[in-house]
Amino acid sequence: MSSLSPTVFTKAEIIQASRTADWLILVFAFLVFTGGFHVHAMLTMGDWDFWTDWKDRRLWVTVTPIMCITFPAAVQYWMWDKLRLPLGATFTILGLLFGEWVNRYFNFWGWTYFPINFVWAATLVPGAIILDVILLWSKSFLITAVIGGLAFGLIFYPGNWSMLAVLHQPVEYNGMVMTIADIQGYHYVRTGTPEYIRFVEKGTLRTFGKDVVPVSAFFSGFICILIYFIWHFFGRWYSTTRFIDQY
Amino acid sequence: MSKLAIRTWAAAGLAVVVAATSLYVPEASAHGEKSQQAFLRMRTLHWYDLNWSTDKLRVNEKMTVSGKIHVFKNWPETTANPEHSPAFLNIGIPGPVFTRVESYMGGQFVPRSVNLELGKNYTFKVVLQARRPGRWHMHTMMNVEAAGPIIGPGIDGSMADYKHVLTTLTGNTVDIEKVGTAGIWGWSFFWIFFGFAWIGYWAAKPVFVPRYMARKAGDESIVSPTDVKVGLGFMVATLIITWVGYNAGNSANPITIPLQAGVIGVMEPIPEGAPTVEAKVEQATYRVPGRSVILKVRVNNRGISPVQVAEFETAGIRFLNGSVYKDETNYPPQLLAPEGLSVDDNSPILPGQSKVITLTGTDAAWENERIADVIYDPDSRFGGLLFFVDSSGFRSMAAVGGPLLPRFT
Repeated sequence: MSSLSPTVFTKAEIIQASRTADWLILVFAFLVFTGGFHVHAMLTMGDWDFWTDWKDRRLWVTVTPIMCITFPAAVQYWMWDKLRLPLGATFTILGLLFGEWVNRYFNFWGWTYFPINFVWAATLVPGAIILDVILLWSKSFLITAVIGGLAFGLIFYPGNWSMLAVLHQPVEYNGMVMTIADIQGYHYVRTGTPEYIRFVEKGTLRTFGKDVVPVSAFFSGFICILIYFIWHFFGRWYSTTRFIDQY
Repeated sequence: MSKLAIRTWAAAGLAVVVAATSLYVPEASAHGEKSQQAFLRMRTLHWYDLNWSTDKLRVNEKMTVSGKIHVFKNWPETTANPEHSPAFLNIGIPGPVFTRVESYMGGQFVPRSVNLELGKNYTFKVVLQARRPGRWHMHTMMNVEAAGPIIGPGIDGSMADYKHVLTTLTGNTVDIEKVGTAGIWGWSFFWIFFGFAWIGYWAAKPVFVPRYMARKAGDESIVSPTDVKVGLGFMVATLIITWVGYNAGNSANPITIPLQAGVIGVMEPIPEGAPTVEAKVEQATYRVPGRSVILKVRVNNRGISPVQVAEFETAGIRFLNGSVYKDETNYPPQLLAPEGLSVDDNSPILPGQSKVITLTGTDAAWENERIADVIYDPDSRFGGLLFFVDSSGFRSMAAVGGPLLPRFT
């Protein structure tokens, strides 16, 4: 018998091999997206998500969804177009949160002792599930971008308010009014992050009075639509195979 | 090379590595203060009359760092100055080993950034509460780039005992270290599990190879109507849970306010009248081989009592005229030259008298603290404070500065 003769597999073996491949690819892809997305998030919206005294009504609400709809859009394209899997957004967002929480727990808390209630990671899962389901329901990247992108920006603040509200209680501290989050930022000394570099709301949106969050969330959702388009093209480019047949 | 020789060299190499990493374990205790250019440290902020209440305390106990800051008038134009840029009174510690519970400038509470006027003096005070046990390296610090002296207080106890309790304006009593933590864990991980449930629904079926093959064959039945219904169920559940969570946050905390931000304003400097002693540098040289700065200074005593030169301070290093003034503040020894300042004419300067004296500040600190590098800076000018005392111990201060000429022989 030749050593190159084909091996005959049973159907059960083929199914087993396929499932093994499924789990290997899922775990590998999860870790790859965790690494890539986490670096992207740290570089583009890092401090807004690191500290509660950066989680404001205006810039945190605006920047975080815009920077975090990127990988979901790209991976959604690959998973839906090649596999008809409406998972891309939730899969990448969970990867990001895995990386974020490993960082917050082992680095921010375990290594430098900032308490978790000061350095928790915002959740983006509600927006990701909506993004995936709208793609599944509509089967259209255009509708997903317009409705899903807008929803991704809009749901971010209410999705996190259950965790953040308690930290926005007012306190009189040495004669000044501060939120608990402000006091956390003041208490837990960050030598390299002085107060004045906080990019947070320092005035209202003028004619919008105190209704800052809805305006910021709608603006964020609008930009999310545009970013979704751009990044879904990244997904398209990276999941397109071309062969060169002429030299 | 024989196997025996390879083994011998490998063993020797391993022994060197082990010895180098285990026998010599220096304590890391610095924040890069020496790496700042010398002219920055000499011509920005001068910290003086520093006092720290204790150097040993237990978790939850408090210590106070206080003193004065002189904002140098000839601030380098290459560096943002606090008259126009926000400045934040900070503290240089390795992470939140202390918490800052109070900080004041000119008697005003300063949790946020402020502005300071050039040429003025300000009092400051920072109250710190011990949080994490250990021995820590610490600086006073103003985040417009200037680091002050260094101390190393130790903390005993357990961080688990640390607490800082506040009462909100709505009447809730909260421990700032723990408030909201349960909700953060609960909601964060609920959403993570919810997301994984969505992944799990799809991963329970064949994922990659069969779907890829079906997709290549144009088979759209791999997404069934049931899948769509389940998906819509997930989306509706997401919206409902988000709405419930949002309302739970609102009902538990009906009154919330936005983060507070913005520059507090210009701080109140220490009131000062006409200077009782004026000093003007006529020539300043740094003699490289002797590690000494030589200042030829014209001093005018406009006060009512005779004064003598007591101290020259620059970049946190204090050169004392030992025959006139002794330090009793437990100042860090590496930054203190108790006999480091000599004066060619040490006789008192009488009221109304104007005379030129030559001061020589000598100490290894010029090299150790990398202040001597000013002669290699692109802007070789120095700055510092001269202190004078009268017979009653009253101190007068004059800021001095100007070009610094190097002498290499």
